Amino acid sequence: MSLDQEISGAEIILQALKDQEVDTIFGYPGGAVLPIYDAIFGQNFLKHVLVRQEAGAVHAAEGFARSSGKVGVLLVTSGPGVTNVVTGLTDALMDSIPIVCISGQVPSHLIGTDAFQECDTTGITRPCTKHNYLVKDVNKLSEIIHEAFEIARSGRPGPVLIDVPKDIQFAKAKYTPKSEVSFKSHRIKSGSSEIDIQFIEKLIEHIQQSKKPVFYVGGGCLNSGPQASQELIKLVQKTNIPVTTTLHGLGCYPGEDSKSLAMLGMHGTYEANLAMNECDLMINIGARFDDRVTGRLDAFSPNSVKFHFDIDQSSINKNVKVDYHTNTDILLSLKAINDHIDRRGINFDQNQYDPWWRQIEEWRGKDCLHYEQGDEVIKPQHAIKRLYELTNQQDTFITTEVGQHQMWAAQYYKFSKPNRWITSGGLGTMGFGMPAAIGAQMANPEALVVDIAGEASFLMNIQEIATAVQYKLPIKIFILNNEYMGMVRQWQELLHGSRYSESYVDALPDFKKLAESFNAVGVRAKNLSELDDAIKEMISVDRPVIADIWVDKKENCFPMIPSGAAHNEMLLSKYDKEKPENQEKGKVLV
Amino acid sequence: MSNSSVYPTPINAFKQSKRSVLSVIVDNEPGILARIVGLFSGRGYNIEALNVTVVDVENNLSRITIETLGEERVIKQIIAQLEKLVPVHSATNLANLKESYEAEICLVKVEFENEDQDHKILNFADIYRTRTVQKRQHLVVYEISGTSERINKFLDDLTTISGIKVELVRSGPIGLGI
Ligand SMILES: Cc1ncc(C[n+]2csc(CCOP(=O)(O)OP(=O)(O)O)c2C)c(N)n1
Ligand SMILES: [Mg+2]
Repeated sequence: MSLDQEISGAEIILQALKDQEVDTIFGYPGGAVLPIYDAIFGQNFLKHVLVRQEAGAVHAAEGFARSSGKVGVLLVTSGPGVTNVVTGLTDALMDSIPIVCISGQVPSHLIGTDAFQECDTTGITRPCTKHNYLVKDVNKLSEIIHEAFEIARSGRPGPVLIDVPKDIQFAKAKYTPKSEVSFKSHRIKSGSSEIDIQFIEKLIEHIQQSKKPVFYVGGGCLNSGPQASQELIKLVQKTNIPVTTTLHGLGCYPGEDSKSLAMLGMHGTYEANLAMNECDLMINIGARFDDRVTGRLDAFSPNSVKFHFDIDQSSINKNVKVDYHTNTDILLSLKAINDHIDRRGINFDQNQYDPWWRQIEEWRGKDCLHYEQGDEVIKPQHAIKRLYELTNQQDTFITTEVGQHQMWAAQYYKFSKPNRWITSGGLGTMGFGMPAAIGAQMANPEALVVDIAGEASFLMNIQEIATAVQYKLPIKIFILNNEYMGMVRQWQELLHGSRYSESYVDALPDFKKLAESFNAVGVRAKNLSELDDAIKEMISVDRPVIADIWVDKKENCFPMIPSGAAHNEMLLSKYDKEKPENQEKGKVLV
Repeated sequence: MSNSSVYPTPINAFKQSKRSVLSVIVDNEPGILARIVGLFSGRGYNIEALNVTVVDVENNLSRITIETLGEERVIKQIIAQLEKLVPVHSATNLANLKESYEAEICLVKVEFENEDQDHKILNFADIYRTRTVQKRQHLVVYEISGTSERINKFLDDLTTISGIKVELVRSGPIGLGI
């Protein structure tokens, strides 16, 4: 194609996607995107995955992005097509996932007339995107698309939406390649690349003086790329400081390593939360002091000096006041710190934290993730543990839905590398996991992809099984079937006098037959003796599988810091009683 | 504040908060005002006054001035959130500049009945050096500009005159760093 040639808006979109090296797009057609679908027809660089509901497209794009480090892309029609993706856009915004959503819009001259399938797309999606556009001039289309990709992936990543009226898709203009677009720096907000040497020196000074330091690592480390994890591991090795991670930080530091305290927060480990509570130096690498992590704010780590690495200026001092911060990209910062240590030949006294480690070992001794697996009923924790043990020899991607199973997955599945763990943290979107698994499998065709699911969540986007079957994506849906919205049931038990209002999931389908009716494979484990076989069969079949694992219906997820409680007020089992005054206060929180 | 609203009006909530005037330079593009207003309403910040106009036609830039109330920590958070918006070039708290000036303009329509009132009104109008935009029998329209505080004082003084009817419009403060 010559660049002097005028092509249609729809062709410009395809050309721009090619230029952005997009090879996969998730979508669903409709009247307002037909010209784009026409351009998709008969080309071969871009693989279109037809989902079964637009919500599936946006979560698939998220799963694709998280598992590959690339921008996820989706295409939806106007009106109901785009309103169906609002949840997913919000999810991507909360969890900083780079996606670009292209939506069709009614022709320009009909905008504002309540035309068929018209909605105020930019208005509806403004608060749930990093940025959005309504294209008014086909001559600006190429540039807008390239800017959208740049915004989605730079700085703190997030979702960007481009609303393209149908007449713009037909109108002709010359295509502007990515290489010819000069981005305006104020619009891209890529974060600082300056190394703050004073910050580094202060940090090292504090590490040397500290008696009880801890690293608190979050999704920002993940978004800085796998290299950032490598630098983190180096720094931990040099300093001998324990590491705890948030839900999204899992995998940024190897979960099996002895310096890992595993996840912190509401369902974090005893040792992680107590270390946070008692530390004298907290080094926050790309985490945002979320309420699920901090517990009651006025009791959060009262005696620590806090360092905060975050590319997003607005994360600094938002919930918790910190002493030192840097907005430089985490990879650059960590690398600079490691280089500084090497260059100066700084040695850290390896015994300096011995008493601290002894204290941590004592906390570990509580064995807070202990459970009693009897010989009949499968404990959900045990199901995850076995899944881990039977899959950790191969490259495995885990997605989840939302609920107890998600927290058990976070506690019992250990990740050794970043980008293998894909879960909806900030928004907590039930129905996320299966489409996200589809996206992850598209990005990693050879890998094993498992959605650890709850039966209630799975039902929310169950239609996407057809997508997996159509594209021969051998994703595994591993349902911890407790016949309850377990997490809701647990809160009702703890805070609402065991009044299980509407949390029983009645009239469940037969998941095995359901799988078969979709031309997928169904397996089932009703008791412990069937568990391993079910998992092995699930893994060995090269087709989409629904594994219906019947687990203990009344099991609760512990440890737990109830809402409104402090880190050191953690409940370790159902025999622990919460302070009544916390209970009343906690009730009004989420 | 009106008490006919179904929402509780936060008159006391902001008592301890400081008044701040933020100056925001933005690309003048569709939706920018909605983005800013949405940010304030969505995050529960307060807008006391708002002013928007194109100030640089060549570069297509607008300057938005926002008067808001909040503790220092909240104001810093507002600025950080504003600077995350793609079309925003910069957001500045005027109070943090070494030197800055503020001004506001206000049109006041006063209806009165007798000469005594007329005299008192005229007296205040004189003291505050207002500009008379329109004068008829029993009606006068003034234009007053300056700091918001000065305008407040003028309006307060007017209310000491009993039996007159006042209607007004204010631009909200605008400000510039030097
Ligand atoms: C879309 C959506 N609606 C409601 C909720 C509230 N919610 C959180 S967990 C949960 C129950 C999930 O049940 P299930 O998927 O069976 O998982 P379990 O907790 O039993 O493991 C509900 C309803 C949510 N997170 N997302
Ligand atoms: Mg369940």
